[in-house]
Amino acid sequence: MVVSSLINGIVLGSLYALIALGPTLIYGILRILDIANVAGLTLGAYTGLKVFEATHSLLAALVVAMLASAAFGYLLQRFLYRPILGRGPLIPLIASIGVFIAMEEVFRLVFGPYPLDFPATVPLPTVHVGGAVVTGVQLLILIVGIAVLVGTWYSLRRTRLGLLWRATSQDTETASAMGVNTGLVIATIFLIGYALAAISGVLLGINYNTVYPTMGDIPAYKMLAIIVLGGLGNPLGTILAAMLIGLVETFVVAYLGFVLPRDAIAFIVLIVILLVRPQGLLPGESFGS
Amino acid sequence: MRIAHAAWRKASFAAAIALVAALALVAAACGSSSPSPAGSSSGGGSPIKIGFFAPESGFAAADGASAYDSAQLAVKDINAAGGVNGRQLQLVNYDDASDPKQAVTIATRLVTQDKVTAVVSGSYSDQTLAAAPIFQRASIPVLAAYAVNPGIPATGDYIFQQDFNGIVEGRAGAVALISNLAAKKVAIIAIKNDFGTSLVQGFTQEAKALGATIVATDYSQFGEKDFAPILSRDKSKGATGFYMAQYYSEGQQFINGWNTLGFKYPLVGTEGIDSTTQFFEPVGAKADGLVFTTPFNRDSTEPAVQNYIKAYTAAYGHAPDMVGATTYDSFLVLAQAMKPRARHRARSGTGSPPPPTSSESLGPSRSTSLGRSSRPSTYRSSRAGCPTSTLR
Repeated sequence: MVVSSLINGIVLGSLYALIALGPTLIYGILRILDIANVAGLTLGAYTGLKVFEATHSLLAALVVAMLASAAFGYLLQRFLYRPILGRGPLIPLIASIGVFIAMEEVFRLVFGPYPLDFPATVPLPTVHVGGAVVTGVQLLILIVGIAVLVGTWYSLRRTRLGLLWRATSQDTETASAMGVNTGLVIATIFLIGYALAAISGVLLGINYNTVYPTMGDIPAYKMLAIIVLGGLGNPLGTILAAMLIGLVETFVVAYLGFVLPRDAIAFIVLIVILLVRPQGLLPGESFGS
Repeated sequence: MRIAHAAWRKASFAAAIALVAALALVAAACGSSSPSPAGSSSGGGSPIKIGFFAPESGFAAADGASAYDSAQLAVKDINAAGGVNGRQLQLVNYDDASDPKQAVTIATRLVTQDKVTAVVSGSYSDQTLAAAPIFQRASIPVLAAYAVNPGIPATGDYIFQQDFNGIVEGRAGAVALISNLAAKKVAIIAIKNDFGTSLVQGFTQEAKALGATIVATDYSQFGEKDFAPILSRDKSKGATGFYMAQYYSEGQQFINGWNTLGFKYPLVGTEGIDSTTQFFEPVGAKADGLVFTTPFNRDSTEPAVQNYIKAYTAAYGHAPDMVGATTYDSFLVLAQAMKPRARHRARSGTGSPPPPTSSESLGPSRSTSLGRSSRPSTYRSSRAGCPTSTLR
């Protein structure tokens, strides 16, 4: 049971990491907890589902979902966040929550209140590892998760965009004074952050074979716990926190049963760690040491 | 144990008789919207307002929509057949958003502002339990279509339960799993709410009486998606049979986990998963062999049942489910109960005691056992995404 719990925990952690990465990047650059990013997750899931139904191609579904969600994110930052940036951290947060709630209702009105199934078959085999069963979808989550994390590390550490992100997140005014087009950097980060949300949405939809308007509720507040736990704005911290929570959740259920609401576990871990280490697991904006 | 087919209109005579009395009281006290002071039983008049609430948004929206669709169909059918005592029924509908607090607000509104004559609850046990005391205090009769918690009719003599209660259903589940399917060591995985707890109570009682061991009882939350870990854990504790008291969303995830692990044990479910669009269609062949308890007998040869299935499918494009069927039934019972007593007594002829003839004999001291439906349990098994054939 240890092996299966370990594998399930890592798969879950990868999913959580994918969900929390976009908001982490956005927080790093704007100091806004972007709850609306999870609306991008649901949008990606629905778009992916509809495209899959039309084309039967998972790849097409993913690509279109990413485009749709990225467009949504771009519009959001251009017309909602940028104008209210100077008003302190609370107003963008409230706006973000408002968008999230409103979008849930939009999804319900457009796509109906019923859960829809996402019967996509993943061209990966079901693997048996030491008594544990890893389905094709779970393998896909692991592969995509690793690819995204490596890609994020690479772009933040080795590319110009990464440098611009780190500069802008450390000090927006100075970066602007140094000639960085902060507006463009922000827009690009939103495009990436929301594309990531779309990937998470499609993977969630396929893994659980269900897409419904409120599917973002649990990811939203779990993402919050993970970001705070990780150190607010540190991508590596987020990934570590996500893995930790995924593993703890799985092990607790496997060994203790449903003693706690699963989602309470994330917050208990958060509280315990913050008591010991109030700045989170890996505070600071840098990716890695 | 002989399993009889669920009888439709015949099943709730006890409830119907009591309901007749309650409604006669209400009508006589001018609690209805009729302008006529005599409260006579014939002649056209203003519509009879029937309150209705269901979880039309939120996580239970599919059940809410199913219930509301059936409520509308029932009112339409009753009105097309001439209404009740020559008066048309008017549905006063509210969405409780799967929230017991909302249900309380709705109940207050139905009583004080809409001034309805009677209410059908198309909602879950949590919401119905929350709303029931308000209706009881206002002496408004309530028929709970499918909420099974036994606390509902225990609220008072104006509150009735159309479905068999959770204890009975739980016991039926135990009989199915332990006697019929011969599982000796059982694991229970139930949803944590008034529906789940009442089912587990009944199941556990009967399981002990039948001599089986319960190796684990776990309660899951709404939204739980990952049942594979708990299933593995129960298997490692020696479970050879499983009782799944879940709703359709969690039930789907349960079956996914079950399937991933390749389990082949006997599995018994409940009416919580009795949903065509939300369980049987998406789950399909993965749930083959699942047996579940439900008040909706699709194979019944009763014309009322088959007509309902045809009419619902024609109106809404998909087959109806338990939630819809019990809601429809509730309106039929209500309409029947509102008709003059003499006509009703002649039609029943079951040898049940004649209803009281004067309103003084009706009092709050009446036993609440009258509020419970005497419907026999039906077992259905799932095959290729369709609920089929009754277990004998």
